Amino acid sequence: MLLAVIRREGVDVPALCEHEAIEPCGSCRLCMVEITKKEWDGWKNHVTSCLYPVEDGLIVSTHTDQVMEIRKTILDLYMARCPGSEVIQKMAEEYGIYKTSYITVPDADNCIMCYACTRICEVLGKSAIAAVERGHRKVIAPPFGDVPPDCIGCLSCAHICPTDVIKWNDEDGTRTIWKKNFELITCKECGKNIISREFADYIIEKREVPAEYFETCDDCKRAEVARKMGSLVTRAKEVSL
Amino acid sequence: MMFRFEVNPSLCTGCRTCELACAFTHTKNQKPGRSRIYPIGYAKDEYVPVTCLQCDEAACIKSCMFDALRRNEETGAIELNLERCVKCEACVAACPFGCALIDNVHEEIVKCDLCGGSPACAQFCPTKALEYKKIA
Repeated sequence: MLLAVIRREGVDVPALCEHEAIEPCGSCRLCMVEITKKEWDGWKNHVTSCLYPVEDGLIVSTHTDQVMEIRKTILDLYMARCPGSEVIQKMAEEYGIYKTSYITVPDADNCIMCYACTRICEVLGKSAIAAVERGHRKVIAPPFGDVPPDCIGCLSCAHICPTDVIKWNDEDGTRTIWKKNFELITCKECGKNIISREFADYIIEKREVPAEYFETCDDCKRAEVARKMGSLVTRAKEVSL
Repeated sequence: MMFRFEVNPSLCTGCRTCELACAFTHTKNQKPGRSRIYPIGYAKDEYVPVTCLQCDEAACIKSCMFDALRRNEETGAIELNLERCVKCEACVAACPFGCALIDNVHEEIVKCDLCGGSPACAQFCPTKALEYKKIA
């Protein structure tokens, strides 16, 4: 897509909903650019570069006055919708917006409805969360606002969220996300918490990774490698003596 | 041309120069990254430099649901594409040798990529416990 080429050429175009692991969906509208072609006789078009296919003879302008104006308006709207988001504030400041000119959304939760979380859950093969309701009441939620039955507690949605809306909590070997509790695997040697049991089971089943790989933490596994290799070195030294 | 990354623990003195070389090679925003190689002591004054073995049938590649880990056919190293990584830590949990790591400074997952074909740790190792040798 066009955005990848723009990034490759080192041009800075903002985007919030874009991530290489997921399909582009053009929901944040920030990667808007102006395109034209010689044969278009001066006609031009504004498109989201993350969704526009690259073609021969395309002339792309990323920072024209009109494009900047579009981006400023979008960021102004985002400032009204997500007054508490540092990412949005920082981005808006770069475009000279320090205060929104619209009315701030009451009880804003900083979600920009970019669907990055639902798309990454889909890539994982779970689709545990989705957008529910319509219009201004639309939110990302598990089915029926209940505990999501398909969630495996991998935190992909929380990590990919551009405005850090999805909260989770790891405490005493239990992970809580979307109001669902997960048992975290505890290293059998040092007691450190690793990933959630359900996520590990999913990897073991789907990708045929041996289950014993998930029993200890990375520190203990490295120490085990050192012990095993060390014993070989010791034996080699004894033999040579 | 084929190369082999050789680790000879009997030569390792545990000086940790490789750790420094690795951390500074992977510097971002003026902050050294987390080292991908660890000399671990198993007896008094005996060390084994533990690093990624670039397994043929790698558990990290298998466990990554987002295809962020791929083998670089040129160097043979398994490289992590940070643009595709969502930090789910599946590879960290799955690696049987504990060599996919969490870098808390840059908040990303790190693993040895053989520095794209010229490993800094081997260049800096004073006792040649680490060597990057041409084999064919």
